[in-house]
Amino acid sequence: MTGAVLAVAGNPITGHGGAESDLDAQLMLRVRDGDEECYRLLLNKHRNAVVSFLHRMVQDRAVAEELGQEVFLRIYRSRGSYEVSAKFTTWMFRIATHVALNNLRDRRAELAGRRSEDTRDSEGVAREVPDRSPTAEQRMLQQARLKEVRDAIGRLPEKQRVAVLMHKYEEMEYSQIATVLECSESAVKSMLFRAYETLRSRLAHMSAGGTR
Amino acid sequence: MELLLELSAGRLDPARAQSLTAHAKNCPDCSAFLSAQSEVWDALDIWEPAPVSVDFNRELWRKIEAADRAPWYRKLMENLRYGAWRPAVPVAAALAFFAVGFVLDHGTRAPSVQVASISGSGWGVSVIEADQVESSLEDIQLLRLLE
Repeated sequence: MTGAVLAVAGNPITGHGGAESDLDAQLMLRVRDGDEECYRLLLNKHRNAVVSFLHRMVQDRAVAEELGQEVFLRIYRSRGSYEVSAKFTTWMFRIATHVALNNLRDRRAELAGRRSEDTRDSEGVAREVPDRSPTAEQRMLQQARLKEVRDAIGRLPEKQRVAVLMHKYEEMEYSQIATVLECSESAVKSMLFRAYETLRSRLAHMSAGGTR
Repeated sequence: MELLLELSAGRLDPARAQSLTAHAKNCPDCSAFLSAQSEVWDALDIWEPAPVSVDFNRELWRKIEAADRAPWYRKLMENLRYGAWRPAVPVAAALAFFAVGFVLDHGTRAPSVQVASISGSGWGVSVIEADQVESSLEDIQLLRLLE
């Protein structure tokens, strides 16, 4: 069992998704051998995906960036014991998921009172909405719709949320999601089915409005 | 359903996608599912997080340097904070508490283990050991009498 894997979840990640031909894993092996430039490459390649995933998980941009740094710090500190046992991104998102879930558990009581997104993130919201709507009214409408999407995802159970974010936004395979969540592929499929069913019912009115 | 989900996600190979789409045209259930799922998919597309701040890397390197300089106990605390075995920490703490309690309890309940120094020898002999030796000698004497 490798220390890198140990640091993440306490048991080894079994190979999924062509770990042998994973270029990122090869880069990480070079990081293990002391090549800091490869670490910079991995960081620049994956930081947006990791921070976006964390942002969607914890629904707070500033916290997501801090957690993203924590993820890459843990990757760096695990470099000495890294071994290729899964796709690099699977390993990385497993770390990110642990970090996010721990943070959510730490903040659960605090979050209960303000589930509907951090108000101090209003700057981020404004930047998230593509500037396709020329009028203020349309922009407000789009922000309201964005808030509904975030709320709908935010109210999903944690594991369902992880599964949806990885399936929808990270385009991960079922086997990868199963490895991250430490469950079977069939469990992931069932989790996703339930999650999308919930989202369909929560977001149904958005399409009924025909505002897109 | 899995195939329908994959079709909505645009992840099916063209041949399967074409055949499933053709099927859905004549199947009201599949058609309704696909329609609802694609609406959810479009709704989720609205959410595009902002790009990472320009200070991200600099702050990360600062943390890496700080972590390298941190004393061992702080590294241990960090591992406890985010480690997967974090749920075991309360159990370990409870076990440690009981272990300390056990040791303290048994430590205070051993007044009979008094060490008596044999004058001039520098050797310490406990009262229990002396009692055991005395008892053994008595047993030997008794056996000799029986012979």
